Amino acid sequence: MSAILLKDVSTTYQGEKKPAIHDINLTVETGEFLCVVGPNGAGKTTLLETICGCLKPVKGEVKVLGFNMASDGVKVRRKIGYTPQDFMVKPDEPYKALDVVLMGRFGKIGLLRGVSREDVEKALKVMEMLEIRGLAGKPVGKLSGGQQQKVMIARALAKEPEILLLDEPLSNLDYDSRTKISELLGEICRRQRITTLVVAHNPEHLLQLCQRIIVVSEGKIIADISGGELEREEAVRALIPGLKVGLR
Amino acid sequence: MIGEIPTLVFRSAAGAVLIGLLAGLISVFIIRIKLSSMGFCMSHAAFAGAALGVGLSMNPFTMALAFSLATASLIGPASDKAKIHPDLITSIAFPLNMALAFIFLTLTPGVVRFTSEVTSILWGSVLSVGFQDLVYLAVLLAASAVMVVLFWKELFAIMFSRRMAEADGINTKPFIYAILFAIGIIVTFSLKLVGGLLVFALLFNPAATALQFSYDIRKVAMVSPLIGAASCLSGLFLSFALNWPAGACIVLASTLGFALSVALSPKRRIGK
Ligand SMILES: Nc1ncnc2c1ncn2[C@@H]1O[C@H](COP(=O)(O)OP(=O)(O)O)[C@@H](O)[C@H]1O
Ligand SMILES: [Mg+2]
Repeated sequence: MSAILLKDVSTTYQGEKKPAIHDINLTVETGEFLCVVGPNGAGKTTLLETICGCLKPVKGEVKVLGFNMASDGVKVRRKIGYTPQDFMVKPDEPYKALDVVLMGRFGKIGLLRGVSREDVEKALKVMEMLEIRGLAGKPVGKLSGGQQQKVMIARALAKEPEILLLDEPLSNLDYDSRTKISELLGEICRRQRITTLVVAHNPEHLLQLCQRIIVVSEGKIIADISGGELEREEAVRALIPGLKVGLR
Repeated sequence: MIGEIPTLVFRSAAGAVLIGLLAGLISVFIIRIKLSSMGFCMSHAAFAGAALGVGLSMNPFTMALAFSLATASLIGPASDKAKIHPDLITSIAFPLNMALAFIFLTLTPGVVRFTSEVTSILWGSVLSVGFQDLVYLAVLLAASAVMVVLFWKELFAIMFSRRMAEADGINTKPFIYAILFAIGIIVTFSLKLVGGLLVFALLFNPAATALQFSYDIRKVAMVSPLIGAASCLSGLFLSFALNWPAGACIVLASTLGFALSVALSPKRRIGK
């Protein structure tokens, strides 16, 4: 069973005529670490939101962990860690960083069950790994963009997901943090065999980690590069303008 | 005659406290889930409904509840899918509800027009809170408190972001509908006390005030009902003392509370 399976999927936004992604076919195996690249407006975010069921496709079938997202979406989302693109909390909102990280587990914990000490410990442990443990008691809206981004990554990881969907998770981070966090992500996903899709506009930090790159352009997957091909740097370079750092 | 006045005072004071607690509690969700335009529409629809009730000599409060819930079910799905901006809905629905209310009130048989019943719909009346209402309110408060405690986790996630809560595998729709239903009921009861034109203040001010003081949503949810009760009670006594309409006094008290909280808010202070 593939972890993610998309068959002829098209998603159209409300009020739009043209689908933002169309006739997408994609299979991702369990434990794969996949990088999604492509220019602005290509449809990367739409693709991720369609996979997690946040957007309903107008055509085709989305299966995650063997379940049909159209009917079992709520249940499957308890196993998907998702960090949306550019999710920012306003400065006066009354939520602390630890609350937000912990919240990632709420769907998984389930109705009518309380948050246990173990849940809190898991949340804190992930924050520790991402070096934001010290921010746990701070209102999340008062953190910097990069710090908030780490909180959102921690939130997705604290859920102990089987699938991880990260939409430009490193965009607000400084150079050092990008390196550290992408290494950390690679390690966690490998160790726990989490199937991971990372959208990256400028994927230089992630390319070392991923086993497969898909290139999205104008709502279509125009290239799917994996295995040995990945080593053929020129091929990848040609498809990703602006790539500075070498691959493996 | 003896004993009637204390009974009235007790009954209206108990009503004010219960309504204040309930409205204060729901206001947290109204503000944090950004249901304020919905609450706004529902309060004025309740007013129009009550007016129709008076006009047709039916029970105004049943009609108020029906109108307010009908509004929620009409507007809910439209704003749900973000087809129409909530501000737009509010701007269109408010005058419509007012127009309906005024037309319905003129249906009132000539002799009865602008009698106590009409003015109580407009301005509220401490007399209209009966003993049975107190029982309903107490039950409603207990039920709401239990629900909030049982589903705090989910409500918390929805307050943070409905979209994220959905992405985490929480089915948000039943919660939103339950909250809208609760708003409808609370609006209907509050209408008796403060009148149709001012109900909305109760659904907004308490949490707005509490939010000035805390970054911890749990504390906000605990303090907001107390603020609601305090403003209803102090407004009521102001109204007894000055012989002003109860609804207006309650709104004055709650607005004063909000103004004070803004002035004293630690969130606005710089340094120590
Ligand atoms: N809410 C929306 N309504 C209508 N069109 C949208 C919406 N969000 C995105 N789009 C359109 O869909 C296309 C894909 O967008 P998106 O998936 O966000 O691109 P990317 O993440 O690759 O930058 C773009 O052409 C964009 O204009
Ligand atoms: Mg995007």
